[in-house]
Amino acid sequence: MSDERPTTGDSLGTPASAGTGQSGSSIHSSIPVNPLLPTDVGAPRETTPALVISGLTIRHGTRAVLEDVSLTAAMGQVTALIGPNGAGKSTLINAALGLLPCDHGSVHLLGQDLLRLDRRARARLIGYVPQRSRLSAPLPVHEVVALGRYALGGGLAGAFGATRRAVDEALAAVEATALAERRFNELSAGEAQRVLVARALAGGAHTLLLDEPTAALDIGHALSLLALLRRLAANGCTVLVALHQLDEVRRVADHAVLLQHGRVAINGPPETVMTSAQLTDAFGVETDPAGALAFRLSPSRTHSTEPR
Amino acid sequence: MTMRTLVVWSSLVLLLAVVAVVGLSVGRGELSGQNGAVFIELRAWRIAAAALAGAALGMGGVLMQGLFRNPLASPDLLGTTAFALLGGQIVLVLVVLAGASLPLWLPAELLLPIGCLLGAAGALAALLWLAERASGLTTVLVVGFLFAALGSSAGTLLTSLCRDQWELMRALQGLSLGGVDGTGPAQLALGAPLVLIAGICAWGWGRALDVLLSGETEAAALGVDVPLVRRWTLIWTATLTAAAVALGGAAVFVGLIVPHVMRGLVGVTHRRLIPASALGGAVFLVACDNLARALPTTGELPLGVVTGLIGAPLFIVVLLRSRQELA
Repeated sequence: MSDERPTTGDSLGTPASAGTGQSGSSIHSSIPVNPLLPTDVGAPRETTPALVISGLTIRHGTRAVLEDVSLTAAMGQVTALIGPNGAGKSTLINAALGLLPCDHGSVHLLGQDLLRLDRRARARLIGYVPQRSRLSAPLPVHEVVALGRYALGGGLAGAFGATRRAVDEALAAVEATALAERRFNELSAGEAQRVLVARALAGGAHTLLLDEPTAALDIGHALSLLALLRRLAANGCTVLVALHQLDEVRRVADHAVLLQHGRVAINGPPETVMTSAQLTDAFGVETDPAGALAFRLSPSRTHSTEPR
Repeated sequence: MTMRTLVVWSSLVLLLAVVAVVGLSVGRGELSGQNGAVFIELRAWRIAAAALAGAALGMGGVLMQGLFRNPLASPDLLGTTAFALLGGQIVLVLVVLAGASLPLWLPAELLLPIGCLLGAAGALAALLWLAERASGLTTVLVVGFLFAALGSSAGTLLTSLCRDQWELMRALQGLSLGGVDGTGPAQLALGAPLVLIAGICAWGWGRALDVLLSGETEAAALGVDVPLVRRWTLIWTATLTAAAVALGGAAVFVGLIVPHVMRGLVGVTHRRLIPASALGGAVFLVACDNLARALPTTGELPLGVVTGLIGAPLFIVVLLRSRQELA
């Protein structure tokens, strides 16, 4: 298995200049940079806690779906949620989005209690990307991305230039400008996921929660999307992503959280979380001594919207 | 707003003017005769009623299709029209039973829309309650179809129970067959504000309905208060359906066919689709009413019969064409 870490800025198409090597302004700056802007971000954000989930417990009847879950997703990093089916990954993401009632615990983003905010305020702070959108209407892509600005007041603003500019910038950030006039229902799965990331960014959110965004994608599209997540993190976004494919976690994540039976089994750098013993315990698998296939985006495809 | 949308809206306004002018000259009675002015006035009222009812049904169809995220949803297919009709029929029966004891401040013109509104709102609320618990949209459509059958059967039962009161039975049948003949300024004065207010408010929810096209989870994550949008959309749909039934009885297929056609012209964005469907519905129903009067039959054809005869084949054509486009 390839052990190339994307923070070095190449295997997943991350430009070296967009890496984490900048230094300068205070690490505690509470306002992150706009992820839609180019990569001249000021501060190293690897350790700035942005999304803090503390003691989160959700019960369905007497059964605990999440039990005392605590984790931190740092600004400028990709935090991966892993775990077997039914471990509570999607539930955790939905709870952090405020879509599920919590029995105990709290979710804070840069000090703000997310669970006390109203829907619009929360949506302005957090962008959500589902595994696969249920949107099947023939909406043009630029209108789909504009839906991401609903929480900003939507209203008549949809007709004005500010929205169009934000939509264009969001599409540019995910390298999907060429898709703007196409209908969403005619896109490939990979293109659609990029557009959904653009929709999440268009409202100005700097924190992205993604629920298994690569689950329906082939390897080319999956790697392309992961590269995009790395670039967004390099630009100051906080990314919390549930992933099924463990090799993807190694490629994209700075930090991994292993959920098991609704609890955090272990969290830390991927190499310490994804040990043979942990994987055997959580998934009932062991590493194949013959090794696994490992892939990366070819240089010619690194910046293309769609793998050819 | 795109140039295409403006062109479509303008064309529809022009078309409405054309069918309205044609409507003034269609029907029995000599306009050049002694009662010409009376005929013109009566036709003007019915044209206005048909336009309002058509606009209400067009917008109601868009709202239901947005609410259920299904282009096959419409007030008449899902039983809302049938129950609005039943509510109106019950009110007619009660008014006759009450007779002279009905207080003067409570005219029958006011009671009919209220009955329709209660019937439509009750049916929609029950359907939505079921939809939240059903496993899929097919179930909702089937349940809606059953609602339509139930409401229609109950209406027929009520009509047959009133067989010995010929005038009442005729009024009940007239309501269920659809028609704008005999509509006057009193009904319009009541129906117009209902349609206008509900239409404007529904337009106001258009952006939220756009977001809801992504499903409830995504919409909630994008900041939509889904239960609130659902509740108000339901209220405006019921209001529009009730106003349409009170004005023109059960004119079937308008709420299904008009949004479908308009979607092909202005796209799926609700803030463009709602006005387009209002205008399209008005054009369609006024044209159907013109036809009902122009056809060489012994009596005037009921409006619901004409909309059904035109709407059903038209919908099949549209459906086949959109399937081919998708393929």
